[in-house]
Amino acid sequence: MKALLNTLKWIILIFFLFVALYPLIWLLLASFKTNNLELQQNPFGFPEKWMFVNYYTAIVKAKLPALFIHSIIVAFSAVFVNLLVASMTSFVISREEFKGKNVLLTVLAAGILLPIISFMVPYFTIIQKMRLYDSLLALILVYSAINIPISVFLLTSFMDSIPRELEEAATIDGASFVQRFTKIIVPLSQTGLATAGTFCFIYSWNEFIMALLLTSSESSRTLQLGIRFFTSQFVTNYTAMYAAIVITIVPSIIVYFIFHNKIISGLTAGAVKG
Amino acid sequence: MKKNKNIKMILLFLVPVAFLYISFFIYPLAFVLGTSLTEWNGISAMKFIGLGNYKKLLTDGTFLLSIKNNIIWALSGGFIQIPLATMVALILARKPRGWKTLRTIYFLPNIISAVAIAMMWKAIYNPMYGFLNAFLNLFGIEGHNWLGETATALPAVIAQTVLYIGYFMVIIFAATTTIPKSFYEAAEIDGCTTLQQEWYITLPMIRGILVTTITLAMAYGMRHFEATFLMTSGGPAHSTSVMGLVLYNKMDAFRLGEANATGTILILLGTVVIVLIRKLLSRGDAGSDSVQ
Repeated sequence: MKALLNTLKWIILIFFLFVALYPLIWLLLASFKTNNLELQQNPFGFPEKWMFVNYYTAIVKAKLPALFIHSIIVAFSAVFVNLLVASMTSFVISREEFKGKNVLLTVLAAGILLPIISFMVPYFTIIQKMRLYDSLLALILVYSAINIPISVFLLTSFMDSIPRELEEAATIDGASFVQRFTKIIVPLSQTGLATAGTFCFIYSWNEFIMALLLTSSESSRTLQLGIRFFTSQFVTNYTAMYAAIVITIVPSIIVYFIFHNKIISGLTAGAVKG
Repeated sequence: MKKNKNIKMILLFLVPVAFLYISFFIYPLAFVLGTSLTEWNGISAMKFIGLGNYKKLLTDGTFLLSIKNNIIWALSGGFIQIPLATMVALILARKPRGWKTLRTIYFLPNIISAVAIAMMWKAIYNPMYGFLNAFLNLFGIEGHNWLGETATALPAVIAQTVLYIGYFMVIIFAATTTIPKSFYEAAEIDGCTTLQQEWYITLPMIRGILVTTITLAMAYGMRHFEATFLMTSGGPAHSTSVMGLVLYNKMDAFRLGEANATGTILILLGTVVIVLIRKLLSRGDAGSDSVQ
C-alpha cells in the first residue's frame, strides 16, 4: 500500500512536470525545424538541422524588434506609474488615520473582483476622449490602473509590517510628511515593491485584449498583438510562427527565473492574509 | 476621530489614485450599467430602450450557449483545477525530493502570456503538425481534429488552462505550511495513515483557502476570453462561444448598447457566482463549528 502510494505520488508529480514543461520544449524544438514536412515526420526529435533562419524570418517579417521595444516601454512605464500611485496610496492607508479610510480600502479591494473585460466599451471611449487612442500612453495608463487594486493590497499589507518607531523617531528629528514617505517607507518597502512590480510587469507584458482594443497601427502594437498578426499573415509557415511565439515567451521566463522567489512569496503573503 | 493635521498632504497623496480609479473602475462601471439600457452605435445619439437589450440577449440561442459555456468554464476551474492543485500541493507539502524545483516549474506556465499559451496549444492540437495526434499515433490511436469538431472543441480549449495548476497550487501549498506539525505527529501515533491525515487534518484546516481558490477559479472562468478568441473564435458552430467573445463581437459590430448589456450580465453573473459559491461552501463551516 505504501509503495503503491509512493509510486502514484511520483506519477502525479511527473505528469504535471510534463504538462508544464514538455509543450515549451516541443515548441522550442519545433521552432528550429526545417519546414512543415519535418514537423510532421519528426514530431518529437531534435531538428535535423538547427534552422536559426526561422528566427530571422520571424524577427524581420513580423517586425518583432519594434514590437519588443513597445512592450518594454509599456511594461516598465506601467510598473513605474503603478508603483508610484499605489505606494503613495498604501502609505497613506497604512500610516495615517482619516475619515473614509475603510470605505476607500473596500472600494479599492472590490476592484480585484470586477471583470475588466466587461469594460471594453468604456475603456475605448475614455481613451478616445483623452485623445490617446492608438498610443503607448493609453496602454500604460490602462495597465497601471488595472493593477492598482492588487498592488495596493500587497503594499499595504507589506507596509503594515514596517515598525512605526522608525517614523516616530524621524518625525521628532523634523522629517516632513513627504520625507517620511521618500526617506523611510519607500526604501524599506523594496521587497513589497518588487513583488507588486513583478505582478504588474507580467500582467502588462502579457496583456492582449486591451492592446487589441486600444491600438490600431504598427506604431503602438505590442508583442502579444504581434504574434497574433504574424500567425494570421503567415498561416503556412509554422516553424517561423513557432519562433515568434518563443521570442515572446523568453522575456517572461527570464523575469520569472530572476524573481520567482519574490513572486511565490508575494502570492503566499496574499494567501495567508486573505 | 480627531482631525489629522496632515489632511492636506493625505488628500494630495490620494489625487493620483482617485484619477486612475475613477477613470478606469468607477466611471466604466456606471457607464456599462447605464448604457446597457440604450440602443447606441457609438456615433448617433443614445436611445433609451429599457430592458430591450437584455430581452434580446436572453432570447438569443448563441448568447444562452455562451452563458452555458461560461458556467462550464467556471465549474471546471473550481471543481477540476482546484482539486488537482490541492492534490499536488498536498504532495509537495510533504517535501518530497526536489519539491522546491517542482514548485517553481509548476508555476512557470502562469507567467507566460495567455496569447502565447493559446497559440502553442493551437499548434499542439493541429491535426497535421501537432504533437498530440503524433503522440496518440504511437499507441495506434487515430488522430483527431480537436479544435475543429463540436464535440471536442470546448473540452480541448478548457483542458489547456485547467491543467496549468501552478497559481492555485502555490496558494494552497502556502496554506498548508500554517498547520502545526504536532497535529500530524499525534495522528501518526494514533495510527492514522497518510491519506487519513490529509483527509481529517489538512483538508479541514485549509478549508478557508480552498473556498477562496474555488471562488477565484470560478470568477476567472466567468470572465474567460483570450484562449477562445485565439484558438477557435467561438467556433465550430458557436460551440466554444463565451460571454466575453459575444461582448467583443457586439462591440466590433457597433452594437454598443447590447455589448454593455452583455458586460452587465457578466458582472452580475460573476458576482452571483462568487456570493453563491461562498454561501454554499461555507454552510458546512457552521456545522463543523457546532461540533466543536
